[in-house]
Amino acid sequence: MKIFKQLLIILAISFGGELLSRWLSLPLPGSIVGMLLLLFMLFTGIIKQEQIAETADFMLDHMAFFFIPAGVGVMVSYHYLEGNFLVVLGLIVISTLVVMMLTSLITQWMIKTKKKDERTDQ
Amino acid sequence: MNELTNNHLFGILISVAVFYGGSVLRKKLKRDFINPLLLGIMVIVAVLLLGDIPYENYMKGGSVIHAFLGPVTVILALPLYRQRKLLMEYKLPIIAGILTGVISSLVSVILLCRVFDLNNLLERSLVGHSVTTPIGINISNSLGAVEGITVVSIIITGILGASVAPLLYRLFRIVHPVAKGLGLGTSSHALGTTKAMEMGETEGAVSSLAIGVAALTTVAMVTILQLTGWY
Repeated sequence: MKIFKQLLIILAISFGGELLSRWLSLPLPGSIVGMLLLLFMLFTGIIKQEQIAETADFMLDHMAFFFIPAGVGVMVSYHYLEGNFLVVLGLIVISTLVVMMLTSLITQWMIKTKKKDERTDQ
Repeated sequence: MNELTNNHLFGILISVAVFYGGSVLRKKLKRDFINPLLLGIMVIVAVLLLGDIPYENYMKGGSVIHAFLGPVTVILALPLYRQRKLLMEYKLPIIAGILTGVISSLVSVILLCRVFDLNNLLERSLVGHSVTTPIGINISNSLGAVEGITVVSIIITGILGASVAPLLYRLFRIVHPVAKGLGLGTSSHALGTTKAMEMGETEGAVSSLAIGVAALTTVAMVTILQLTGWY
């Protein structure tokens, strides 16, 4: 019973996001609007995390399962690669390394300077 | 063969089977790079090709699973909400770090695609490669790009990010747990977060926070690019 109740809440918010996105002609996809909606409801206490926890955690833990069909789509779309498989792979490698390096460097630098500021304040 | 596979059950059955099989194999062999999703996709594609089964037959059941992407995206709000205290504590570094990450991801993909002269459809399919899969698929769809290529690029990104993080952090002397977690979550989503959790509790928490914030930031950036007529 509990699982159904939680699933109902999740599906309803999801549907609500789709409706809002359409009615207000937002530039954001319905599922993103739904995510923001759930975030808003959690922060305002309209929904308590216990009301969705078990079902949401099951889906979050096994999220990858839901991506299988989208991934299988590669069999009908690989020709868009036009033989550039290795180039695309190289691009992904470079981009991922750059993002990880810059994100962690900037974050660490910000935290360090913040601490220094606090020390000089005292 | 067609009668056997041209129904909803076939696609659902084979998806559950490969995912379960992949998960068991991963547990048994204890190897991080065995990814049940990537393995599952490869097995299904192989079965369809070898069995001469049309993609459309698989997608009858596949579309049922695919329909859950919306709700899966929605519940990403939950881990974000759970880490709200951490977000408040490190507000500025986290926002600055993620913004840097998202912008460098978009810029590097767009730049490299143009340098290597890749077609525009590929560029659109790859801009969301660092983002968590359900939202990456969303971005791909809203740009009219190719879902399959997006998903595979996201998985490759995740496996790569998780495996190079320890070396990269040693090389650039990243020692702060918040910086480590943020780098992993922003660049390599849920797969990176698994690695962050191994590094420590704070690393894992920050990483799972970064998944949601980075994804939303990327959506915002891509929407701006669309509204300004870039895409």
